[in-house]
Amino acid sequence: MTQRGIQRVVLFAIALFVGALIWELYKVVGPEDGGSIFGWQLIPKSNDRAMPHTWDIVDRLGQPESAALDEPIWRTILGYSWYTFRLALVGLVAGVIIGTSIAVLAARYSIAERAIMPWVVMSQTVPLIALAPQVVSWSGKFELFGWEWQRWMSVSLLAAFLSFFPIAVGTLRGLKSAPPAALELMDSYAASWWRTLVKLRFPAAIPHIVPAAKLAATLSVVGVIVSEVSTGVTGGIGRAVISYQQTASGDPTKPYAAVLGAAVLGLGLYGLVVLADVFLMRNRPQEADA
Amino acid sequence: MNAQQTNTAHTPVAQTVIVVGVSKVFNVGKPSEVSALTDINLTIEPGEFISLIGPSGCGKSTLLRLIANLIEPTEGAVSVNGKTAAQARVDQDYGMAFQQSGLFDWRTVQKNIELPLELKGWDKSRRAARAQEMLELVKLPEFARHMPWQLSGGMQQRVAIARALSAHPQLLLMDEPFGALDEMTREHMQAELLQICDVTETTVVFVTHSIPEAVYLSDRVVVMSPRPGRITEIIDIDLGRDRDQDTREDDTFYSSITVVREALRRVEDGTAGVRPRSGIDDR
Repeated sequence: MTQRGIQRVVLFAIALFVGALIWELYKVVGPEDGGSIFGWQLIPKSNDRAMPHTWDIVDRLGQPESAALDEPIWRTILGYSWYTFRLALVGLVAGVIIGTSIAVLAARYSIAERAIMPWVVMSQTVPLIALAPQVVSWSGKFELFGWEWQRWMSVSLLAAFLSFFPIAVGTLRGLKSAPPAALELMDSYAASWWRTLVKLRFPAAIPHIVPAAKLAATLSVVGVIVSEVSTGVTGGIGRAVISYQQTASGDPTKPYAAVLGAAVLGLGLYGLVVLADVFLMRNRPQEADA
Repeated sequence: MNAQQTNTAHTPVAQTVIVVGVSKVFNVGKPSEVSALTDINLTIEPGEFISLIGPSGCGKSTLLRLIANLIEPTEGAVSVNGKTAAQARVDQDYGMAFQQSGLFDWRTVQKNIELPLELKGWDKSRRAARAQEMLELVKLPEFARHMPWQLSGGMQQRVAIARALSAHPQLLLMDEPFGALDEMTREHMQAELLQICDVTETTVVFVTHSIPEAVYLSDRVVVMSPRPGRITEIIDIDLGRDRDQDTREDDTFYSSITVVREALRRVEDGTAGVRPRSGIDDR
């Protein structure tokens, strides 16, 4: 690992530690039953039921989900996370394909840009929760390439609905970022628009696509979890968060264990994009970026 | 289009570039309409080195782009190698180099040089062999696997020249290729360019705003004036073909510089009051 890589891992560990420290600090100074400002319940409760100790949360990870099971809950949660991760990955890939296609179309035909981009922007004003029941109800109603439409496909599609947006916008900007001199050079070779796209515009767009993909990865996870929660798709971490919440009064650390699982899965998908970034940018001039 | 074809029929492959009665107006019919070139006539023989010099706005880059068929003339015709400029572009009859080397960051030096060959559909081993040949020509044989951003400005410009020449075009079009280089590197590159053109027998059209650069490199210097851009004089430079760094000390070199400078002064006088400063580089 490079020195910079080690530095990042250490910084991440420090950030985790500081986060836990603030949590515990608040438990010491914050009011047990919270408080209100101007009648609004704004100050969080610091009692053990609302905010369990960090070490209790960690300890809970080692206990089984319920007394009837042997398996420690972290493994159960990992299973849920893995299920959600796969849906989010499919959603991200679909989002990348849809977003890139829109960007290419918009870059090719300015009329397409003017016709499509307003719809793209407007699509993001529709709340996902409003769409989710509709899309999930598609299951079993039609076939795609001989495959019957499954529930999980609806969930991934909803994730793609969120994740395609940054990709479309970022890629379009990237495709337009090729320097005029380079475009003129391709012109001087009488290269077709498509060859210019492949040889010049796409490679030039990568530095714009990668940050967009990072955003898309997190949006895809959010999309899957929200869809799981709002449509009752079982097997994923979204459902686990809800069902653990229902037993929170007796087992307050349990929902937090599920939240940790969701965080790990988000980081996992983000990590995949970072790996792709490192691979794609390995020969580029090094620039500082987050 | 007709004029172009007739013209081609009358003149076989003898001349590399023929520009006949060319005018260029940008933004025709709009309030921003501007006449960039008026009644340009220019014939360039094979193997010649021609510089286009003049104050900014004189249309020298526009003329270069017309020859390259990157833009179409409003009037008149351009032929290259006995074909229409459009056909010459499709056939990759010329190579181009710009002030910014315009190398692709994500390609190695070798892959950059191979770019025009890729577009021609050459296979991998043939491309690699040609790239190596070009790297030796520009004296960078050991840099094939480097990335462009690891090279100095002068080296990048050499790679750009290698790329421009990799398909062995007979014509090289250069738009202030050494404009961004420091003086020492620039003189070195000029000498090297002359050697390369000598070996490859390439015809060159070279846009510059430096008088010594134009004189040192050229067989003929085309002096242009702005608003609208036109050719005012074409000056023969009598320095022979064997030029080296000592040529810069030559009396003929100095006297030629004076001749070009005076031609440019006349250009300025003609537009006096419109443009008090010419933007001509007197280095």
